[in-house]
Amino acid sequence: MSLRILKPTAEFADLLPKEYQELVENGPYHEQKGISDLGTFKEIIEEHPHCAGCGVALGVRLVAASLPAPADTLIIGTPGCSFFGLAQTALNYSNTAFGNQNAVASGLKRMLKIRYPDRNKDVVVLVGDGGIADIGLDMTLHSWLRRENITTIMVDNEVYGNTGGQESGMTKEGQVLNMAPEGKKFPKIPVFELARTSGCAYGARVTVASPRKIGEAVKKAILVAREVGPTYVQIYTPCPTNLKFPPDQTVKVAKDAEAGYYSFEEFISPEAQEYMQKTTKAV
Amino acid sequence: MYVAARVDEEKCNGCKLCILTCPDPNVISIDKAKNIGINQARCKGCGLCVVACPKEALTVS
Ligand SMILES: Cc1ncc(C[n+]2csc(CCOP(=O)(O)OP(=O)(O)O)c2C)c(N)n1
Ligand code: SF4
Ligand code: SF4
Ligand SMILES: [Mg+2]
Repeated sequence: MSLRILKPTAEFADLLPKEYQELVENGPYHEQKGISDLGTFKEIIEEHPHCAGCGVALGVRLVAASLPAPADTLIIGTPGCSFFGLAQTALNYSNTAFGNQNAVASGLKRMLKIRYPDRNKDVVVLVGDGGIADIGLDMTLHSWLRRENITTIMVDNEVYGNTGGQESGMTKEGQVLNMAPEGKKFPKIPVFELARTSGCAYGARVTVASPRKIGEAVKKAILVAREVGPTYVQIYTPCPTNLKFPPDQTVKVAKDAEAGYYSFEEFISPEAQEYMQKTTKAV
Repeated sequence: MYVAARVDEEKCNGCKLCILTCPDPNVISIDKAKNIGINQARCKGCGLCVVACPKEALTVS
């Protein structure tokens, strides 16, 4: 959210809670902030209600710090643990009915292009694996096939975390969960491959064990989406509560996955590559 | 507050790895002199920062 909107009039400034005043004075608005500036500015107004050691919360936090233009960014969420993370941030945030995120994002992006023809407004979908790979898969794929100028980010905890542990399309084959007692019967849906073949101009697959890679991937994805076409970032964000590992092992679990089936991958179209070379030269 | 992270300032070299590992915003901060501060009232005691710290400067108790 822009500081102009957030800033109270002088008469009211003292009446606001301390946390709000701190956000106005030391939020992420004032100069370009990135992942390496974390710890030096106020990220959200208050705490969030995620479990201790939550990979999704860490993923959301790293994404929020990677946005190239936070004041001109609109985050689109949907039900899931990812949506709590942003409920109190300094960012513009719009929730959607579960699974509708890429349809709503497409409409908002088109509307913002008309309303602000001379200004980049970044529309970023930030939702869970169930939201994208299951209920929202058709709307996600269609937004890519239509070449909408939006960025889609999946925080993949390989489970419906928010509703107590049902399997999602992104759950690993054989994984036993609270509400999948016999284990999942088919492999992870290859959403990353689908992004590549359905028109995304840039895609990256990363894990919370590599924060700086998340930073670079999110920045690239948002810049490419401004001018070239849809982009996709898939982040492995393990859930200690449902995958039943100790909460201090979240990053280790992600690191181990990175050494195997969740290795770092990236693709970029020739047009997006050319655009990135031009933009980085201009900066 | 049941448990919370604590930092041993003697051991900490200000590398910031803990800040990039903590899932909770506004819990670990760093000042210009590279001193780490922990908002213990907000810490959930998960221990991720303890595992991340290469200097073994953090404990959860
Ligand atoms: C139309 C509809 N169906 C079902 C739900 C219930 N629901 C809320 S969150 C959720 C699962 C979310 O899973 P995922 O997208 O993986 O996010 P996570 O909680 O794991 O981060 C479900 C089924 C809902 N809110 N709306
Ligand atoms: S259930 Fe899992 S994903 Fe949801 S808040 Fe808890 S640890 Fe995070
Ligand atoms: S114990 Fe967990 S919540 Fe507390 S400071 Fe360390 S990483 Fe953050
Ligand atoms: Mg999930």
